[in-house]
Amino acid sequence: MAVQSRPAPVTPGTVKPHLRGVKTLLTHQTFRRVSQLGFAVFIAFLAIQHVVIGENGPVVTASPEAFCPFGGLETLYKYLTSGGTFVSHTHLSNVVLLVAVLAVALLLRSAFCGWICPLGFLQDLVSNLSHVLQKRLPGLRRSMTSLKKRGARLAVLDRYLRYLKYLVLAWTVGGSAYFGFMVFRDYDPWSALLNLGEFSFTPGMIVLGITLVASFFIERPWCRYACPLGAASGLLGKVSPTYLKREESACTSCKICTKACPMGIEVHTAKTIRSADCITCLECVGSCPRNGALEVKFGLPILGK
Amino acid sequence: MRIHPFVYGFLVLGVFFGTILGFQRAGIWSTSGKITASGDQVQPSATDVDTIKGWMTLEQITTTYQVPFQELITQFELPADTAPSTPIKDLESDTFSVTNLRTWLQIRLQPVNPVPPGDSSPLPAPQGTPTPANTDQVIPDPTAHVSTARTITGKTTLQELLDWGVPENAIQSVLGSELPALGTPIKDFVTGKGQEFSPIKTKLQALVDATN
Repeated sequence: MAVQSRPAPVTPGTVKPHLRGVKTLLTHQTFRRVSQLGFAVFIAFLAIQHVVIGENGPVVTASPEAFCPFGGLETLYKYLTSGGTFVSHTHLSNVVLLVAVLAVALLLRSAFCGWICPLGFLQDLVSNLSHVLQKRLPGLRRSMTSLKKRGARLAVLDRYLRYLKYLVLAWTVGGSAYFGFMVFRDYDPWSALLNLGEFSFTPGMIVLGITLVASFFIERPWCRYACPLGAASGLLGKVSPTYLKREESACTSCKICTKACPMGIEVHTAKTIRSADCITCLECVGSCPRNGALEVKFGLPILGK
Repeated sequence: MRIHPFVYGFLVLGVFFGTILGFQRAGIWSTSGKITASGDQVQPSATDVDTIKGWMTLEQITTTYQVPFQELITQFELPADTAPSTPIKDLESDTFSVTNLRTWLQIRLQPVNPVPPGDSSPLPAPQGTPTPANTDQVIPDPTAHVSTARTITGKTTLQELLDWGVPENAIQSVLGSELPALGTPIKDFVTGKGQEFSPIKTKLQALVDATN
């Protein structure tokens, strides 16, 4: 009888084995995509059901907007100050979802954005399409490379534009509290997408269009520059005990992790990744070719333990 | 402590769904203003007319407030072939709205005080159509509008007002502030500022009628 021995512990810095066949699918990246797809399908089902059955159907159908955690943030002030009433288009479910997102952020950073958010998934799909087309079409690849070289001069602009989402957060939460209705709803690309079936044309449709077109050139533009929910989640995630650690002794600074990061974070130069922009999609961890060079840790990042 | 990426993914989903399930178990969950946390349909309160919502049906109103269906049709000049299952908001017109219905029902709910035999003071003249049930009650007078296509309801947006030819400065003057995003329903904007929708609606309707 063959004795099955436990696999020897991997040595930090050694090259990870190359995955083949089915094993290439058994990764956390696939798990993440399945999770994102599941939520996107669920929301699409709700939206279609709501349009097909309508408001006066035999059963009460939930609006897909009832499952938006950001609606909870917009209605929170009114909910707390008026004894449990909500701004229009929001319900108790929005508040509960907000609490769930913030609980995830508090414990596990902005994982909602990376693992669940359907709008983030939509942007990922467009970016992936762009990558596939660039591989197939050399002309497009050359144009994109040229565009990126020219755009490198605007890197400093990228740094400042990232603060825009905090202004959007202040405007949406403050405006909703002051006026008593969702001031952001008309400009919200997610709301625009959900109401597509009802043929309601709002400025949010334009924002959605810009976001999707921009996703072809830059990954997750909405998340980087304008998402107020990501801003709130990222700020809370700063106090989370979960963080990413780069082991300098095992790292070869090949920059693969930085290239894989959809949020454009310079992973290869950091010791611990604590950026509020990190959506903990773990693409950097999955793409790293070295064992133990980049890992998810739970502890106090200040102490490095 | 190192966390395997797979474990991390399960933790994310576990914390997210665990929180939601916890709230649902505690009865703190509702995805619609039409159903309670336990999934039952929200009903108007027989003693509080403010619980009446636009999505509620005429049948719910007649049952809860014990109003004959035909009386409701006659009172608010609704089409004779209106089905009892029709939501209130689908019938909104110059003569019928949630606000009008609430006011009318509120008056019906008030107890009738008998007039003392020796009291010679004249009774105030009724200002509206009396109902068979309470002939001494004041009934809200339906407005004199004749247009039904350009009727302001709870769903009407500022953009629609502008499309109907109402000047922007006239709207601003009635609202008393700068216009918000034009897709905003007027009712949401007005109630959001803590104001009553009904008087502002009347003023705006007058502006709409003036453009005809």
